Amino acid sequence: MRGQEVRFICCASQPPAGSPCSAGAAAAAPPPVNRWGTGLLHLNKKGFEKLGLRVSQGVEAGGLLLIRGTTAKPGFPKNLGGTWKRLQSGTPGSQGGVFGVTTVFPTPAQLPFSVVGSLNGVHMFAQNLDVQLNSARTEDTTVVWKSFHDSITLIAVSSEEGASELSLGRMLHMVFGAMVLIVGLEELTNIRNVERLKKELRASYCLIDSFLGSSELIGDLTQCVDSVIPPEGSLMQETLSGFAEATGTAFVSLLVSGRVVAATEGWWRLGMPEAVLLPWLVGSLPPQAARDYPVYLPHGSPKLLERWWQPLLEPLRACLPLGPRVLPEGFPLHGDILGLLLLHLELRRCLFTVEPSPDKEPSPGQRRRLLRNFYALVVTTHFPAGPAEKEEDAGSPAQRPRACYLVLGPGMGWRLVALQLGLRLLLLMLSPQSPTHGLRGLATHTLQALTPFL
Amino acid sequence: MMSDPAWRDSRGRSAELPGDLSSLEEEEEEGDSNAGASSLGSCSSASSDTDLEPEWLDSVQRNGELFYLELSEDEEESLLPETQTVNHVRFSEKEVIIEEDDSRERKKYEPKLKRFTKILKSKRLLPKRYHKKSSNNNGPVSILKHQSDQKTGVTVQQRYKDVTVYINPRKLTAIKAREQPKLLEVLVGIVHQTKWSWKRSGKQADGERLVVHGLSPGGSAMKSGQVLIGDVLVAVNDVDVTSENIERVLSCIPGPMQVKLTFENAYAVKKETIQPKKKKAQSSTNDLVKLLCGSETEGIQPSILGTPHIIMYLTLQLQSEVSKEEQEILYHYPVSEASQKLKSVRGIFLTLCDMLESVTGTQVTSSSLHLNGKQIHVAFLKESDKLLLIGLPAEEIPLPQLRNMIEDAAQTLKFMYGSLDSAFCQVENTPRLDHFFSLFFERALQPDKLHLSASPSAQQYDAASAVLLDSLPAVRWLTLPQELKVELDTVLSDLEAADFEELSEDYYDMRRLYTILGSSLFYKGYLVCSHLPKDDVVEIAAYCRHYCLLPLAAKQRIGQLIIWREVFPSHHLQPPADADAEVFQEPEGRYFLLIVGLRHYMLCVLLEAGGCTSKAIGNPGPDCIYVDQARATLHQLEGVDFRLEEQLASSLGPCLSCADWFLAAPREKTDSLTTSPILSRLQGSTKTVTSPTCRRTFFSDYSFKARKPSPSRSSGGCEPGEGGESVGTSPHTTPDAVRKQRESDGAEDSVALLKLTRKKSTLPNPFHLGNSKKELSEKELEVYNTMKLTSGPDNTLFHYVALETVQGIFITPTHEEVAQLGGSVHTQLIKNFHQCCLSIRAIFQQTLKEEKKKTLRAAEHSESAESVAALTPVKEHGVLFECSPENWTDQKKAPPVMAYWVVGRLFLHPKPQELYVCFHDSVTEIAIEMAFKLFFGLTL
Repeated sequence: MRGQEVRFICCASQPPAGSPCSAGAAAAAPPPVNRWGTGLLHLNKKGFEKLGLRVSQGVEAGGLLLIRGTTAKPGFPKNLGGTWKRLQSGTPGSQGGVFGVTTVFPTPAQLPFSVVGSLNGVHMFAQNLDVQLNSARTEDTTVVWKSFHDSITLIAVSSEEGASELSLGRMLHMVFGAMVLIVGLEELTNIRNVERLKKELRASYCLIDSFLGSSELIGDLTQCVDSVIPPEGSLMQETLSGFAEATGTAFVSLLVSGRVVAATEGWWRLGMPEAVLLPWLVGSLPPQAARDYPVYLPHGSPKLLERWWQPLLEPLRACLPLGPRVLPEGFPLHGDILGLLLLHLELRRCLFTVEPSPDKEPSPGQRRRLLRNFYALVVTTHFPAGPAEKEEDAGSPAQRPRACYLVLGPGMGWRLVALQLGLRLLLLMLSPQSPTHGLRGLATHTLQALTPFL
Repeated sequence: MMSDPAWRDSRGRSAELPGDLSSLEEEEEEGDSNAGASSLGSCSSASSDTDLEPEWLDSVQRNGELFYLELSEDEEESLLPETQTVNHVRFSEKEVIIEEDDSRERKKYEPKLKRFTKILKSKRLLPKRYHKKSSNNNGPVSILKHQSDQKTGVTVQQRYKDVTVYINPRKLTAIKAREQPKLLEVLVGIVHQTKWSWKRSGKQADGERLVVHGLSPGGSAMKSGQVLIGDVLVAVNDVDVTSENIERVLSCIPGPMQVKLTFENAYAVKKETIQPKKKKAQSSTNDLVKLLCGSETEGIQPSILGTPHIIMYLTLQLQSEVSKEEQEILYHYPVSEASQKLKSVRGIFLTLCDMLESVTGTQVTSSSLHLNGKQIHVAFLKESDKLLLIGLPAEEIPLPQLRNMIEDAAQTLKFMYGSLDSAFCQVENTPRLDHFFSLFFERALQPDKLHLSASPSAQQYDAASAVLLDSLPAVRWLTLPQELKVELDTVLSDLEAADFEELSEDYYDMRRLYTILGSSLFYKGYLVCSHLPKDDVVEIAAYCRHYCLLPLAAKQRIGQLIIWREVFPSHHLQPPADADAEVFQEPEGRYFLLIVGLRHYMLCVLLEAGGCTSKAIGNPGPDCIYVDQARATLHQLEGVDFRLEEQLASSLGPCLSCADWFLAAPREKTDSLTTSPILSRLQGSTKTVTSPTCRRTFFSDYSFKARKPSPSRSSGGCEPGEGGESVGTSPHTTPDAVRKQRESDGAEDSVALLKLTRKKSTLPNPFHLGNSKKELSEKELEVYNTMKLTSGPDNTLFHYVALETVQGIFITPTHEEVAQLGGSVHTQLIKNFHQCCLSIRAIFQQTLKEEKKKTLRAAEHSESAESVAALTPVKEHGVLFECSPENWTDQKKAPPVMAYWVVGRLFLHPKPQELYVCFHDSVTEIAIEMAFKLFFGLTL
């Protein structure tokens, strides 16, 4: 698995008050710690526990964002050119003070602490000069820096083939969202005790790891909620809203292996990071009968604790095999289609599957990665509007891209096609025998057929 | 004498000319082309015998380089009104010195002719203008010498005015018979009457002011319209003049040129001490820039300077003992506030370069950062322990383009100086590099302002296409008919053979100075004939592109262009792969590039010294014989002009359609529901299911096409495969029958469209020829039809670029062809096409890189795990765009929408080729088929 090649570092930019920093805490995901704050309640009936079904539900909360002013960090060497060498020769643990860097996460074994220090130092050096360093590329590696609230800097280093600045940048956003979800923004912007923070953040490892590994979902990249089309959608929707009413909450959703089967209106109104993050969080937890889990919503209410609890409801067994297939049984999909990604840019939901024609090459994992890379390419170069902002100023550019396709080289021959129609963006992966000139027709037709669902 | 180079200021930057740019002069074109043609046969000998010392000889620099450009007279005069403050020509002190130096240095290798010239000169047999040197020797050694003393001169704008006039000393020859012509009157057209002149004493008062007493009719001064009676002429090209020295100063004008006259205004307050206005020091640095930018220099500079952009050459080896400020900067440009910021954060780049390489094992290639709310891309190029950096704003230059640009710049600098180190680390190169990079950034940031073009459409086309074309590893090629090609080939071969007249070894009975390795002929910036290896011609073209010579030749008739410099072609200087005696070994020679331009022609000749010719010692300047031979070759081609012009207007390439024609046709669909064109197309095509004819022209009806009901149809509209049809139209098989069917099927469509276009009588018929050539005979029609690139009955091709990397050439529609099409939407489309192609090509470049890696791996027999995760290799990438007219005023109706494809296709086998086409959405196109048609017969 190439997922190993994604390395991820988090640096708190304030020097720890007298605390020696350590690199390399246990990376294994510990069970979520539950000692701060009131909990989130998971109530799983035994029968459904085996099925891995979860329903989560939240409480309405007001939006609040914290932004702190810039803190100047004086005393940095003007020219880092020679300095980094000094760093490298040091031993881990002893030079934490050089740049005032503390790694909040255990640093990956492949990256010595000195490198992490330099990576953070060069970014901070730039910041002191009012320059914001965003990314750097070597022939095979991409590095992306992202600074959040002038407090936490996340750095992603990836040598994965096809890693793009877009995908790494979005991943860092998700990671920060995950940190807020677990610890709360207050704790992150105003770090008093780094050691404590580090301990607390261990709870988020599991979730963060799921962004780094090769997940079956794509919400981390597209920033849209992975969804499933249930066979009896309206019935399920009704049951769900009935349940929400009964329990007196607006946020209820039904998940199948990390994908939303059905959700209440309120749920869909959740802000961007959390709408994607919550299903991921649930998906990353070990299967449990009941869970009480405290979260802070990064967008909606970074400071308030959410209370979740969930009883379980009726006839959802049918949804279960849907999981990775996403589309209902018997949905007519063209035989050439090997993978499909449909995004609704306003609803911020997406359907993502690589299940069709499972017997054909390539493997589902490869299909997923191809589609992910294709998505990153398409959004970077051709449809820059992307899901982030919708097309408001239609017509202002005289030349609007509508569709594009890509034919992979000899030995593979797979076709990838993207088509944007209104608020929907469809990406397809097709088998080599599909004629090039028919790609758009095929995509158009598929999109028409899928429109009622999303 | 003049051993102290006073012209260089303390910062090491010349306040004078950049090295390469010695003079821009104007040649009086005596006689039209006919006259030129008549003297064709004996041209070389004639020009050298009678013309004796060529005008450019004085411009040769100390290091042997020459950059000499004269515009033809009409161009120069058309330039005049715009360039009031531009002094195109100076009496550069440097030139004088250099010439002295040169003549000393070159004495040994001096061609016989030049010696002959000297002899004649010493015997005072030469016309007056060749007395330049003697006059210099009598008076102050260099007339510019004064200038340095006058730096504190009063600069009162309204008091002094600069007037640029055209002066042609050759007029003198006409009136030579008369005794002692008054140059001021004859050349400039200003009448000044000294008090003494009545007394014919010939002696003149010291420092009498040159009051304009009158203007001679038809003289340059009167033509300018700015010289008034009563004005006082105080300086000529910044040289102080009084009645005492004016005649001598004017006599120093070596040839026809523009001269700046500084006048004190007639009504200005008079002062005793009058000193000429000191021009800005760098005004001379940007001569070529100004020439190419027109007069807008004042407007250009601030906006460019406000944009953060920088080039830096840094050393990674820091001597920690000496902690001098900025010691790691070996070179940087420009010195502006916006760039200062980028300079100050160089520590970031040094650290990244060092650190990332040690972590990842590969070199850092780029970085992006935010500066004052602007995103800046920085491209890195590391060579041994030096780092070349170029930073430009992301919104102007996308990252792939920046990567191409830095590689292009590095390649050209290596071509010019041998290595980046020798380019950047020598102080005397600094002004040259400043000039090089001022042009570089000018081209990058203001592509549409740069070209002084004849037509705005050509200018737009140039600016739009530069994004892609400048980075292609190839030269723009003009496909010519066979007989014309043969003719050009013969002419060039004659030159290269070098076995006649002075070029033959027998003539002087001595060893040849240079071997002609090959030559390339450009016409209006198009390569029309080349006998050089691909690498050489690509490098030479890149050099010409960086100095904007190609557009210059395209837009302006060049009076005379001579460039001579030592070059370091990578192809010849590569270390031999294996020391096998069987394989041809490149001799350890030196290489020289000679470019001779005449009118729209440019002839690039690559010469080799050493090897089988005598070794080059020192810095030899251009050799008259070779220059004359090259010029003679160009004269020989004068008759071919109009045929080349014909080819440009209607090239052999495929014919094109204009995007606006497709928009002009109103939409037939009355359906108001069809908001999206794709929807409407779908609806339109579903109708055809019921109709007996299968309309194959619309390719989006792929799944809805009338077809035999298949058993699985009930489950939905979309089925695997399409039965027999999809096999027939698969990209690899293109039976004629299918195309024929298409043509017949699409007939009704085209008839409808044709009717619509006929309504607009001003529009040419778009669908058969692309350009209206009514007078074409039937046979010609056939020829044009065969070159129709798109399938289907209509010509739906809008634009194309075809790159052939083995020969290093690419073809694309000519400026004339594009101009013929016109259309505002089409212009937009072309711009978009090139930008899209740039990103498509970036993907292809990734593929090529991977491919190279793979072959390396295969050579090492270490099969690494094939990963299909990355999007490589990509062989075809297409993007569909929609566009509508820009200013759609009709509120009731939605603007018409036209959809078109931009498709790029990469071929690795049998030879690497790239094809980019842009065509209308209505026809099924198969890139492979198009490529075959385009590349067929595409040979040098």
